[in-house]
Amino acid sequence: MLRHISRTIFATLLALSVLGHPAGAIAASDLTLYRALGERPGLTALMDKFLDGLLADKRTEPFFGKSDHAHVKLMLVDLICDVIGGPCEYAGEDMTTSHEKHAITAADFNALVEVLQVAMDQQGIPVADQNRLLARLAPMHRAIITRR
Amino acid sequence: MKPIRYLAVARHLALAGLVACIATPAAAATGKLVLTGGVSSIDGAAGGGLTPWAVIGTNATDGEIGGTAHVTRVSTQDYALTSYGAALGYHNKFEISIARQNFDASPAIALNGIAPFGVKRGENIEMDVLGVKYRIFGEAVLDSLNLIPQVAVGIEHKQVQPNSLKSVLRFLDASTSSTDFYVSATKLLLEHSLLLNGTLRITKANQNGLLGFGAGAQGKDKYTGQPEFSVAYLLHRTLAIGAEYRFKPNNLEILGRRAGLGSALREDDWSDVFVAWAPSKHFSLTGAYVDLGGIVPGITRKRDQTGWYLSAQYAF
Repeated sequence: MLRHISRTIFATLLALSVLGHPAGAIAASDLTLYRALGERPGLTALMDKFLDGLLADKRTEPFFGKSDHAHVKLMLVDLICDVIGGPCEYAGEDMTTSHEKHAITAADFNALVEVLQVAMDQQGIPVADQNRLLARLAPMHRAIITRR
Repeated sequence: MKPIRYLAVARHLALAGLVACIATPAAAATGKLVLTGGVSSIDGAAGGGLTPWAVIGTNATDGEIGGTAHVTRVSTQDYALTSYGAALGYHNKFEISIARQNFDASPAIALNGIAPFGVKRGENIEMDVLGVKYRIFGEAVLDSLNLIPQVAVGIEHKQVQPNSLKSVLRFLDASTSSTDFYVSATKLLLEHSLLLNGTLRITKANQNGLLGFGAGAQGKDKYTGQPEFSVAYLLHRTLAIGAEYRFKPNNLEILGRRAGLGSALREDDWSDVFVAWAPSKHFSLTGAYVDLGGIVPGITRKRDQTGWYLSAQYAF
């Protein structure tokens, strides 16, 4: 019985995932994620918690401790707002330029992801929206991780 | 000398390695995101419960080395299986795993009614599995805006010790040792909180190897390709629910038919629905409801084997 049900589920899911996935295309007019994250005030509050977390975590503190915190926060709000299709334009350095001076490993990158996940939990963001945001940010690993 | 001797040696080495790692927690690899190394499959390789995935197990990401140890129990109407083992992940690229399975084959006593096989009461079948997996390309988790999966190839070398069921395997003309080859593709569709895995296994195994490999019937002693699928939905980064479906060969049924036993030796596909929970980076628990279909249904009143699966994994 279970085998027959799961056979149907798998066929459906595979068909959906192959046919229906937008392959990363983000419509410029799609503001649903921006709105779900509370627009600019929500993103600012999230980045407050995120930066607090980055400074409190001994794995990430070395990368952010000496930075201009207010500037970093502003850049992060602009960057995230921009990549999720919000009405902002990120004007800071591109990800490669801003990270190439640092030795950043995959473990460092994942530590930052974990701190962001905790900040999103604290902000009360539903898991599905957390993952939608992470999906837009995670591919930056190619530019950010400098030590492979 | 038992044929499984060298695997036993490898197991002791793996256990010694585990103890060394546990004793030096400073060396613990924790670079991977929680649950992204999968859980331990019954054969030891990282993946779902019944099938390996393309992920490299343990918490070790690029540049790190990590280990896991697992114990798993599956219990159905007529049988039970215990699996324990360990895996080592190297630089998120290479995985080596070892598992010992102990299969409670008590119903096999009924085979003595068919022929004088000399099967002992409460007999167990033991199997050792040595696994090696190599990630060829792709990043299952972080490359979330493309559809390119992480792809790995692997082998599972299996040696079965049938004990007093040796005469039965001889009757089936099934060998006691063989190697499965597989290729796996895994992708996390993070935008949808959905993980998909497909594995193609090239195998001769009867019931995963517990009833030996191949059979003495025309065309039934060859390797065949068997697809395996898993899907998981992330309810939280520490909690996933999902399902698996694993196609299996059916090498033995024809022999049973020729011996006038009908479908007594039929083998079915396996499937399960599961919940995996990782309360910490170092510990995960997986519970599942499995449907293993018929396992020598001729000695279990023809009923399908369904039941519970519980697995604990420690990672360091």
